[in-house]
Amino acid sequence: MIDFSIIVDHWDMYMQGFGNTVKASLLALLGSLLLGIVIAVFRIAPVRLLNWLGAAYVEFIRNIPLILVVFVFFFGLPALGVRLDSFTAGTLGLTVYTAAFIAEVIRAGILAVPKGQMEAARSSGLTYLQAMRYVILPQAIKIVIPPLGNQFINLVKNSSVLGVIAGLDLMYFGDLISSETFVTFDVYIFVAVFYLVLTVPLSLGVGFLERRLARSR
Amino acid sequence: MISFHQVNKHYGNFHVLKDINLHINQGEVVVIIGPSGSGKSTLVRCINRLETITSGELIVDNVKVNDKNTDINKLRRNIGMVFQHFNLYPHKTVLQNITLAPTKVLGISEKEAKETAMYYLEKVGIPDKANAYPSELSGGQQQRVAIARGLAMNPKIMLFDEPTSALDPETIGEVLDVMKKLAKEGMTMVVVTHEMGFAREVADRIVFMDQGRILEEAPPEEFFANPREERARLFLSRILNH
Repeated sequence: MIDFSIIVDHWDMYMQGFGNTVKASLLALLGSLLLGIVIAVFRIAPVRLLNWLGAAYVEFIRNIPLILVVFVFFFGLPALGVRLDSFTAGTLGLTVYTAAFIAEVIRAGILAVPKGQMEAARSSGLTYLQAMRYVILPQAIKIVIPPLGNQFINLVKNSSVLGVIAGLDLMYFGDLISSETFVTFDVYIFVAVFYLVLTVPLSLGVGFLERRLARSR
Repeated sequence: MISFHQVNKHYGNFHVLKDINLHINQGEVVVIIGPSGSGKSTLVRCINRLETITSGELIVDNVKVNDKNTDINKLRRNIGMVFQHFNLYPHKTVLQNITLAPTKVLGISEKEAKETAMYYLEKVGIPDKANAYPSELSGGQQQRVAIARGLAMNPKIMLFDEPTSALDPETIGEVLDVMKKLAKEGMTMVVVTHEMGFAREVADRIVFMDQGRILEEAPPEEFFANPREERARLFLSRILNH
């Protein structure tokens, strides 16, 4: 049977890890959404150079493993004289990595908005950016809610990469408790439960949003 | 108000507009007709630079449309456009559709923009739909909202690109009525349409296009009674006798 004394005895550590995982996830979620939108607009904007930059970002970042992106921030930046603590480096790496996927999702959503919407907005005198902000993106967001939800769930799970660089997240404390107690299975079962506490409501929330937005159309 | 001088446009190898020369004066209502694929829509879309021209010169409201230094957004404030498929913003209410450009482009206050929007909604006959979403309106109502949206910018020119082609026959009349009212008030209008009754009644001039060329330009009485070009005669006989 599962040994519940593990979670009772190490409750503080689990809580600290859980808190940091939530914090890293929220920061990376917000950051990658904003960065992803910017890169998606880069890829679509009528400016060649921006298209190229956006495409380079996406193809480069999404085709290397997450852990290597994190290593760039944790080991690479200090070489350039910028020293980040492990939590910040991990969260930044997670943000930059996830943004590449979110950019692709948003780009698909923008392209799914009928062309006439941009034409109507531009012909009324709105600038390209205004048309994007007030007309195209609000419609694109509705289209991308389901695939975006997938990305966010992946993001929460991927935040476990922080454990590798001692980022004080759930995974890190899981490892710590395990090496203290010499228990593996039970310790990680509780770690998994804490991830589920985050991802299941997220999943349900996305489903709820999806249904609500479908009605408002 | 609008001047095309030797305007040509190519889509790759396809020559869409050929040596277009056309002058439209302030307050004039010009109706462009012709078979599909003749370049009518392209011609109208060049006026607010939704399409760029390949050569020649196009001057609208004393501004060279395709000049590098032209602030196209500024020029577009003065040109309203109504599309075949309405292109209302589905996530915004009727009122929000109309007030978006006045508030964001002209910087008018929300309150004033709403009053202007209501004025034009009255004018197109559907003030009661102010808070509805486009999906809750009929095609004719949507197109009237689109016209109100264009008018709310207080433009000097209104462009209509087949405004009734996507409507069911019963609602075409209500849209044409609004357009007639607008024409009577002296709005400069360029209209691409297949509604010959409207063209005959409202147009100051008919422009007949085929294969990217303007073949004939004449007042409606003259054009419909006695078209000069063989192609125009053929076109009229096909669409009028059925």
